[in-house]
Amino acid sequence: MTTQTEVRLDAIPTEDLQRLVEFAQLVTAARDAMSDEIVHRLAGAFSEGMTLLDRLTRNEGLMRLLQVLDRQESQNFLIALSDAIHRSSQEISAAPPAVGGIGCTLRVMRDPGILEGLRLMSLIGKHLSHSLREQHHHGG
Amino acid sequence: MRILIVGGGTGGTIVANNLARRLSAEIRNRKVRLTMLSASDRHMYQPGLLYVAFGQMTPDQLYRDQRGLLEPNIDFHVDPVEKFQLDKNQVTTKSGKTYEYDILVIATGSRIVPETVPGLAEGAETFYTEATAVKMFKRLREFEGGRIAVVVGVPHKCPIAPVELIFSMHDYFKARGIRDKVSIKYHYPIGRMHTIENVAKWAKPEFDRMGIEIETLFNVKEVDAEHKVVRSEEGTETQYDLLIAIPPHKGMEVIEDNNLGMGGWIPTDRFKLTMKDRDNVYVLGDTTNLPVSKTGSAAHFEAEVVSENIASIIKIGTPVRDYDGKVYCFIEAGHDRATYAMFNYQNPPDLKPATKPMHWFKTAYNQMYWTSVRGLL
Repeated sequence: MTTQTEVRLDAIPTEDLQRLVEFAQLVTAARDAMSDEIVHRLAGAFSEGMTLLDRLTRNEGLMRLLQVLDRQESQNFLIALSDAIHRSSQEISAAPPAVGGIGCTLRVMRDPGILEGLRLMSLIGKHLSHSLREQHHHGG
Repeated sequence: MRILIVGGGTGGTIVANNLARRLSAEIRNRKVRLTMLSASDRHMYQPGLLYVAFGQMTPDQLYRDQRGLLEPNIDFHVDPVEKFQLDKNQVTTKSGKTYEYDILVIATGSRIVPETVPGLAEGAETFYTEATAVKMFKRLREFEGGRIAVVVGVPHKCPIAPVELIFSMHDYFKARGIRDKVSIKYHYPIGRMHTIENVAKWAKPEFDRMGIEIETLFNVKEVDAEHKVVRSEEGTETQYDLLIAIPPHKGMEVIEDNNLGMGGWIPTDRFKLTMKDRDNVYVLGDTTNLPVSKTGSAAHFEAEVVSENIASIIKIGTPVRDYDGKVYCFIEAGHDRATYAMFNYQNPPDLKPATKPMHWFKTAYNQMYWTSVRGLL
């Protein structure tokens, strides 16, 4: 007696059956290669990864930072910061050690670039202080 | 609103973390305060003890720092409760501090009491504590052949443990090449080989295949460690070379000392999970007197109901869920196969044949437990 299943198998092209056999062989090979220790480590990584992801996604500060970083001007800022880190590391390695004293300070202060930098740092400090004060007032 | 959770095991930790998430805004606005009191600063993955007893895990793999498992907005103290003053809505701890509450969650767990059976503590190996699991492994390691008797006390934590123990032992001695030199006899206290009928039906042919001798209606009366004989209340006895016991359990002493429940099990509403006649006291896990298994799985499902209900009481003034008695137990059928039993108050388990992928699922769960107690799974 021919069953319905056998008829359907007959209807499947040989190449497709060959692919199915190959897939089954792949699954069997993976199954044979798997050990308790591998499962243990994978599950451990998954478990810790999930915990980390949960902590990160529920961290309000980090989420706000990500929102801010999504803006184009923030990305420009990050690019500029990366460039600045790269250039300053090159400059500092080539510059002679600072001698100190008021004369040295005045020389540094005459550099417009340095003053620009100080202004940027001051602005960040000003907005940071303002934001911290606001959060404190709202019980954050 | 002050929520106090007593006990930092599976149930207590899941409730605490779930509430910390559900009520994060209320906690931030200081409308809710969430406090946990625990007896230990470490959290143990208790099902791992069976693996320790067979050398498949080491004890250090079973522990995590309790503080690290809790959400940062939970006020955590290692200070076990000694007095429950439920009429005053307060508890007093070992350090002498008093904590007041509006809602109390009791999840203190259970303990083994082998000393209630004469000779059992001295004469039998068990795997229900770190020290005894390591000792049992050393005994198994040096065992070169002879008669092993397995006896089961009642009530006991994890109803599947006696069956898993037999499977593990069979595979362990087979791997060492001495299975033919070891005879294993399984004793069970009721008239069939497992309290859950479908587990008994499933396990019987498996035990026959492994050549396990079975004696039912064997309630351990005493152990004569000197002559290596274990006797039953029913009048039978078994000679052994190595005795392994699933020891009887009780609820924690503090529950008995405060007259909260006979045997340390607190009378609990099976659906609401509140203590009898105390609507603001929730009980979960091993601490309840419910007719469900004393397992981490039951504690997990109960904890989800309790935390959802406490959160909804705070948000909308009424609980929203009932506990349906759900339990999900993995059953390790040796060292490379497993199956599971899922059941509730209405439906008995329907066991499937044991497979390797289920064993991997269980192996994976041994790690994912930590995600589970954090309230993520």
